[in-house]
Formats: sequence, structure tokens, C-alpha cells
Amino acid sequence: MSDHHSHEETGGTTSPYAARIRAIEALLLEKGVLTEPEVQDSISYMEARSPANGAKLVARAWVDPDFKKVLLSDGKAAASQLGMDPEHPAEFIVVENTPELHNLIVCTLCSCYPRAILGRPPDWYKSFAYRSRAVREPRSVMREFGFAPPEDVEVVVHDSTADVRYMVLPMRPPGTEDLSEEELATLVTRDSLVGAGVPRSSVRVG
Amino acid sequence: MGGSPGGPIDRGQHEVEDWERLADAINGALGAKGLQSTDELRRAIESLENYRDLSYYERWVAATENLLVEKGVLSSDEIDERAAEIEQRWDGP
Amino acid sequence: MTFEAGERVRVLPSGKPGHVRTPAYLKGKVGWVESLIGAFPNPEELAYGHSGLPERPLYKVGFRQIDLWDSYTGPTEDYLYADIYEHWLEPERGTT
Repeated sequence: MSDHHSHEETGGTTSPYAARIRAIEALLLEKGVLTEPEVQDSISYMEARSPANGAKLVARAWVDPDFKKVLLSDGKAAASQLGMDPEHPAEFIVVENTPELHNLIVCTLCSCYPRAILGRPPDWYKSFAYRSRAVREPRSVMREFGFAPPEDVEVVVHDSTADVRYMVLPMRPPGTEDLSEEELATLVTRDSLVGAGVPRSSVRVG
Repeated sequence: MGGSPGGPIDRGQHEVEDWERLADAINGALGAKGLQSTDELRRAIESLENYRDLSYYERWVAATENLLVEKGVLSSDEIDERAAEIEQRWDGP
Repeated sequence: MTFEAGERVRVLPSGKPGHVRTPAYLKGKVGWVESLIGAFPNPEELAYGHSGLPERPLYKVGFRQIDLWDSYTGPTEDYLYADIYEHWLEPERGTT
């Protein structure tokens, strides 16, 4: 048994679909539809992806204006430049927050998200409540996240209805001129990459 | 879905369970081999009658099963049988 | 027909069955073409295992929130974009 089966012993109150997907896996492997390495590669693919990738793209864009231009015009090229492997989404488009405009990303139809860069979306992003309300009352949604852009800032919602996956390039917090690129990346939260919040303004101590 | 009434957003995050990781992986592997497209998966999820009763990954598993059965790759019976065996093993002697 | 950036368009109110990527809340609504994103195989056909070819143009279409929701309480300048396939759009020449 490979490592990822170790959870099998616990069973218990987990979903009935847990057994079904394991059954599907076993049958697909037995019939040669998939191989163990293919399944393992797919697991590794997702595990390698996380919001840290997004934070790196943002931090680089904050310090390097030429990179920022590439990020905003050809997201996949920018991601490739930093060694990320963005092949899965048909398009990866990064939208910029400015003092006049704040972007919020949603997929009302199913929860599309730039998984090839950022990994799995947060649970709230997939919720019916977010998918229903983000298009209709984005400011109310953002207030729940503790963030309220002023009335003179336009709020722009992007519903990812087709083959484009969107990520937000948040504004660089003021007073961060002395931070290194690595420190800047630690300010970029996952929520800020969706537009549900803004980056931290200072590096956490300890 | 978009624009429908919705309640407060639960910002809690559950630990991804192994079976959910596996659901992701099976779909990724099937997609990588051209055996299933994102659009097919979306369509199969949308067609689920009990869509609103299932969690995100439960929908993925149910939809994947329906697609594999639709394409004649697996049968519901053999999935039922194997899933029952697996659950028996989990429940212990 | 190809749409130009800035052109006013209406989303078809069609109740076409099957898998569509045009959300219900946009059907019949008027907005503007922001840009042509590119051309992609038609997801409505890919969803059933067909090739989806020939590729269809996909547009980024903008809508004022106040035109989408009667009860929108945010500023009138707020707007929303969705990515809509060309065959779901028609020119809007009215003055609405």
C-alpha cells in the first residue's frame, strides 16, 4: 500500500464518498486506466502549489516594474519566469488594485480558481454564500472579511465564467520601502490574492 | 447561483482529508490523460440531483463516478461492491 | 460577427438547456465589451465529450452593478466583468 492509503485505518465518521473514491481508484488501477505513478504525480502536483506562489509573483511585481508589466499582460509567462508551472488554466490573468479600483474574484458557476498557481481554493471561496453574494453585494462580503474600500474606490467583480483564472495584484502597503522581496512576500495573504482583503502592512515578529 | 440570497460566509477552513486529496488527484490524472475534461466534470457536477446536499469534494466524487459509468469505464455495481468491501475493512473485525 | 472593444452588447436571454457558462443573472442584461480574450473550444460541447471546434471568441464583458441588481446599494461606479462567448452576445443599439 502506498503512503496515501494510511488514512484507511481510521474510517469512522468520514463521508460515504471516501470509500467510493478509493473504490474508483482501486478499480481504475486494476483496469490499467490509470497507473500508481500517474495518481501520485497528480497528488504531488497539487501539494506543490500554494498561495506562496502568488505571494512571490506579487512581491516581485512590487519591486520590479518590468516584471509587473509582464505579470499584468501575460500571467503565465510571469509565472514561468519564477519557475512555476502554469500549464493547466487556459489563461491566467492578473488584475491590479489601484488607489481608484479594487478587484474581487469569484466563480459563481463552480469555484474556478488559479489552482495551477495557488493550489486549492479556501473553503469560503467554494461556499454557496460567497458564490451567490460576491457578484451582488461585493462590499458587504468584503466587510465580513474586515475590509471596506472607501466609496470613491470602484469595486470591480470578476466572475470567472470561462477558461480564464484570475488573481489580484494587491497594492503594496505604505511604509514597506525597506523590506526585502522575501519579507514583502510574507505580507501577501491568500485572501488578498482573491480581493477579499488586503496585504498585511508589517512583517510579523516571532 | 450568482445573485441568489446567501447567508454569512463561514470563513473556517477544514483540513483537507486524504480522500479529498485523492478525489483531486484522480480527476487531475484523468484530465492529464485526456480521459475527462474540466467541462465534462463541471457538467456532471451541475447535473447532480443532490447538488445542494453534498460537500465540494463529495460532488466531485459523485460526478466522476457518473462520468466513468457514462463512458463505460466502470459500472456502478462494481464501485458499490468495492466501496462496501473498503468500508467493511475500515469498520474492523 | 465580431465585437469591438467598447461596443454595447446584450447577453441573450436564451434558456438553452445543457451545460452553459453564461450565468442566469446576466441573461438579458446590457453591458459593454471590454476586450477579446481569445478563442477557445466551445465548453457547451466539450462538456459532452465533443471537440468543441471550431473555437469560439471569448469576450470580457463589463456591466454596471446598478444595471444588474435593482437593490444594488454600492456606488453607481461599481461594475462586474464576466467572460462570455460570442454566440451569447448580440449588439445593443438601444438607449437603455
